[in-house]
Amino acid sequence: MGDMVAEDEVRLIEAGSNPTRFARGWHCMGLADSFRDGRPHEIKVFGQTAVVFADSSGKLHMIDAFCRHMGGNLAKGTIKGDEIACPFHDWRWNGEGRCTNVPYARRTPLRARTTTWLTLERNGLLFAWNDPQGNPPPPHVTIPEIEDYGTDRWSSWSWKSYLVEGAHCREIVDNVVDMAHFFYVHYQIPHYFKNVFEGHVATQHMRSTGREDIKTGVQMDLPEAVTRSEASYYGPSFMLDTIWTESGGETIEAKLVNCHYPISPDSFLLQYGIIVERKPGTGVEQAEEMARTFTDGLEVQFLQDVEIWKHKSRIENPLLTEEDGPVYQLRRWYQQFYVDVEDVTPEMVQRFEFEVDCEAAVAKWQAESRENAARENSAQA
Amino acid sequence: MQPITCHECGTRVLVEKYSEIHTSVQWLEDAEAACPEFARLAEQGTHSAFVSTCMALRRSIGAAVREGRVPESRFSEPAPLPTEGR
Repeated sequence: MGDMVAEDEVRLIEAGSNPTRFARGWHCMGLADSFRDGRPHEIKVFGQTAVVFADSSGKLHMIDAFCRHMGGNLAKGTIKGDEIACPFHDWRWNGEGRCTNVPYARRTPLRARTTTWLTLERNGLLFAWNDPQGNPPPPHVTIPEIEDYGTDRWSSWSWKSYLVEGAHCREIVDNVVDMAHFFYVHYQIPHYFKNVFEGHVATQHMRSTGREDIKTGVQMDLPEAVTRSEASYYGPSFMLDTIWTESGGETIEAKLVNCHYPISPDSFLLQYGIIVERKPGTGVEQAEEMARTFTDGLEVQFLQDVEIWKHKSRIENPLLTEEDGPVYQLRRWYQQFYVDVEDVTPEMVQRFEFEVDCEAAVAKWQAESRENAARENSAQA
Repeated sequence: MQPITCHECGTRVLVEKYSEIHTSVQWLEDAEAACPEFARLAEQGTHSAFVSTCMALRRSIGAAVREGRVPESRFSEPAPLPTEGR
C-alpha cells in the first residue's frame, strides 16, 4: 500500500442525497402585482401547496391551500372581501389563517387555524418566510430595498421563471463561487473574482469582460464592455446583483435578481428579473427595451445552467483546482439554513473571504476565444 | 491555514495563499465586533458582509507574505467538509 496505489485509485463520486427539509429564509414568490388580479393563486412550494391572495386593501397573504374542513383547494375558490372562500362549502379563511365564517353553520370553529407564511413585499416582489421551526425572521434577516425603486430611475421588472425538475436548488447556489463556469456557461471572462460569506449573506465580487467569439445580451451589445458585478445572496435563495456595464466612458447600472423557491427535494422554480437604470435623456421605451435585451441574454445563459443541472450528478466531494472557488466553504455557509437555529455553528456564519487568482485562466480563455473568432472569420471569408 | 494578526487592531485570522494573487481568510470572531474598520463602516450603514476586504488586514497579510510567514500551498484534501455532509 504505497503512495502509487493511492494516486491511481479510482475517484468515486459521493452523490449524497437531497435534504428533505426546506431552507429557513425569505423566498421570492414572484412579482407582487401578478398576484393582485382579484383571483387566488396556487403555489407548490416547500413540499406543500399554498394559496396566495390579496385582501381588499391589496395586501398579499399566503396560507395552506387545503381547507381544513374537507380538504377543498382554496386556490380554486374565490376571494370574498378580505377572505378566501373554499369552492367546496364556502368556508372562509383570512390571511392570518383563521376560519372566520362557515356561512351555513350556526357555529364557526373560530379557533381553527391553518398553516400561514409571513409575507413581505419589497421592490415590487413578494416574499414568503419559511422556517421549519416556526420562528419569525430576526430583524436583520431581511431583503434590502433598492434605492429609488418605483421611481423613474428604473425600468419595470423584466421577469421570467423556469421550472427545474430533477435537481436540488443547491446546484444554483453553488454557482456563486464557480469562477470557471462563467466562461463556459455564461460566456464571460472573469478578471477579478472574490467571495465573502458572513452571517446569512454570501457575496460574489466580480469584474469580467465578454468573449471575442460569443457575444451575449448581457454585454448589452456594447463593444469592449467591462462588467462589474456585486451579487449577494440574502439567505438561501434570493440573490440581488448590481451590475455596472462600462463601455466607451458610459456606465449602465442594472439590478439582477436571481432567485428560486423549492417545490420538492428535487425540483424548484428558478426566477430571474432585471431592472435597468434609465439614463437622463433616454426614454421609457428605450429603458424597457434595454431591460428586455438584457433579460433575453440572461435567459440564454440561465437555460444553459438548467441544461447542466438537469443532467449532472449531485456531488458531495467535488475535485477542485486552485482556480475553483470555495465550494466546500460555500456549502458550509449554506448548511446554516438546513439546521435548527440552535445548531448553527460559528464556522457556518463567521466571515470567510476567498479571492481567486484568475490570471492563468484569463490568458488561456482570451487565447481560446480569439482563436475561435479568427477561425470563424476565416471560415466566413 | 496560517494565523495572522492585524497590525492595526490585533484581530487574529487564518490565511491561506495558493499564489501571489489568491488569498483566503477565515475570520475567527464576529468581523464587525473584532475589526474597528468594519465597525466604522457598519455605523455608516455598510455591513461587513458587503465589504470585500479590510485594507489594514490586507496590508498585514501582505507584510506576512513578504516575511515568508505564509508559504504558498495547494488545494488539498480532505477539504473542510461542512457538517452532516451536505
